[in-house]
Amino acid sequence: MIKSRIGLIAAASLAFMMPAISLAEVELVRAYCSGCHHESSPGQFDRISAVRKTPEGWTMTLFRMHQVHGLNLPEDVRDQIVHHLSDAQGLAPSEAATGRFALERRPNVKDIDLGAETNAMCGRCHSIARSALQRRDADEWLKLAHMHLGQWPSLEYQASSRDRPWWTIASTQMPSQLAAQWGLSSVAWTQWKNTPHRSLEGRWVLTSHAAGGLDYYGTMTVKKEPDGSYRAQYELHDSAGSVVHGTSHALVYTGYEWRGTADFDGFPVREVYATNEDGSRLSGRWFDANHPEAGGDTVAIREETSTTILAVSPRALKVGYVGPVTLVGTGLDRSNVATFGPGISVGRVVHGSGTMTVDVRVEDTADVGAHTVTAGAATSTVSVYRRIDSLSISPEFAIARLGGGKTPSVSAQFEALGSIRLPDGTLFPIGPVAATWSTAPFDEEAKKQDDVRFAGSVDEHGQFHPAGAGPNKEREFSGNNVGNLKVIASATESEGAKADAHLIVTVQRWNNTPIY
Amino acid sequence: MSELKPTNRKAELVLAAAKSDDLAEVYAMDTVAGCAATFDPGWEVDQFGGVASLCQPMEADLYGCSDPCWWPAQVPDTMQTYPTWDAGKPSAQNDWRELDTVFPKK
Repeated sequence: MIKSRIGLIAAASLAFMMPAISLAEVELVRAYCSGCHHESSPGQFDRISAVRKTPEGWTMTLFRMHQVHGLNLPEDVRDQIVHHLSDAQGLAPSEAATGRFALERRPNVKDIDLGAETNAMCGRCHSIARSALQRRDADEWLKLAHMHLGQWPSLEYQASSRDRPWWTIASTQMPSQLAAQWGLSSVAWTQWKNTPHRSLEGRWVLTSHAAGGLDYYGTMTVKKEPDGSYRAQYELHDSAGSVVHGTSHALVYTGYEWRGTADFDGFPVREVYATNEDGSRLSGRWFDANHPEAGGDTVAIREETSTTILAVSPRALKVGYVGPVTLVGTGLDRSNVATFGPGISVGRVVHGSGTMTVDVRVEDTADVGAHTVTAGAATSTVSVYRRIDSLSISPEFAIARLGGGKTPSVSAQFEALGSIRLPDGTLFPIGPVAATWSTAPFDEEAKKQDDVRFAGSVDEHGQFHPAGAGPNKEREFSGNNVGNLKVIASATESEGAKADAHLIVTVQRWNNTPIY
Repeated sequence: MSELKPTNRKAELVLAAAKSDDLAEVYAMDTVAGCAATFDPGWEVDQFGGVASLCQPMEADLYGCSDPCWWPAQVPDTMQTYPTWDAGKPSAQNDWRELDTVFPKK
């Protein structure tokens, strides 16, 4: 036993340069999992060792072990096993990239399209991203198919099963097809697990955008705790001028997957961020802890980065605009002079932490379109416009869900995106613009069912708030407050620039897994 | 399909949709990640990309979904995975407010 332990230590120290995979963590797998998962060779457990997954994937696996097989783990043991397996059998950054949107719980994203056969096989119940965030060889993908049939046997007579030889497909061509695409071994993973990863300690400059809401910018100071987790202190401003304070406690899995539990002035937030491969950039999505559909995108770079403009706020300036423009980035000190191109004059400059705020005037002579912004050697762009000529809405399709009882509603956030027509006739996007919002029936049936009245309403920020769940006696057959709607945006500044999006207001779901 | 004749309004709609471009619209909606993409009759959207042909109210047949694990990624299946999800809640129409979300939030 001692010999095998020594062998294991040696193997661990040679094979992994991950953050401390300790013998104790392997011992936890041995202690809690090997009763069912035979340890075929030291540290190699049947099934477990033949799979690689994300932290959320391993969390779902352990939850299933609890729910289906009665495995009762103390919370700290479960967390350690998830951490260990994510480090030892995770995904390299490039491997997780395709399905990141699911880890980040992005709402209203079009799923990965693997063609009709695979979409119908895997994607008819859950996202294809859930599959794309796993790595197995063909025999393991086949076992997964068997597991599905055993656990959810009625899939045999669901649509997309009963109408084709689904089991033949699932048990023959599908495992080898999935293994060819998402096999257990990969160059990316071998390289990643043998690469030392930078500590995330230090000061970072960040910018964040919440669709339909505000931009945030400022600094993030990260310190490493003795247990290997991180604590972050945020000092931010929002684009309305308010100061925002926040703290976060984050676990970093697989050397790059940041999972933070944060609090911003009393508002609970979850962070799903990832570093780039050299650890110089952290990006991802944060969301309301109680409503994962509501959140924003963050990008942060290390404060010691050479002069860089990370963001310009506001991103578009109307001809005649007189007021502040904030550059967010690194190295934006007094030695740098900001310029905005011909027709934009520069006045007072105020330097902040990670920011340079410049008073500008957009003269009538300024060309519409993109203007290059410079600060020292760094460049970015700001848009200049006279009127908004065209509008689009993001997303084009959205789902909102009714909520009530123990199931929270799921809102849908829309954002109006403006474009201007350049002198050469082409449309040039200038980013989010203010709009007024309304809803209308999507089709005749929705009009007949009065969906606009029952399904909910859209607020002045483009957020649709669904109505309550449950049967409604005012509707035909006491139907739910579902609806098939158009969400319409009209640009506030330019009459006539309108767009609409398609919104389905539908029923709740009770199975809210970390990867949808 | 050519040997089958519609006998009610919904069946006529299915037939009409199969002949038109409506199915392309359904495809656009069913690729929203996290939504079920089988339409018998559909959980989030129906086969026409709308909601008019869903089971309504959903509570009238909710336990007809959870018992045979018909939408297992949306509705907890009581056949195998969550056998006690609806325990003590005999009427979905009256008891839907008491039904728990099954995956613990952390």
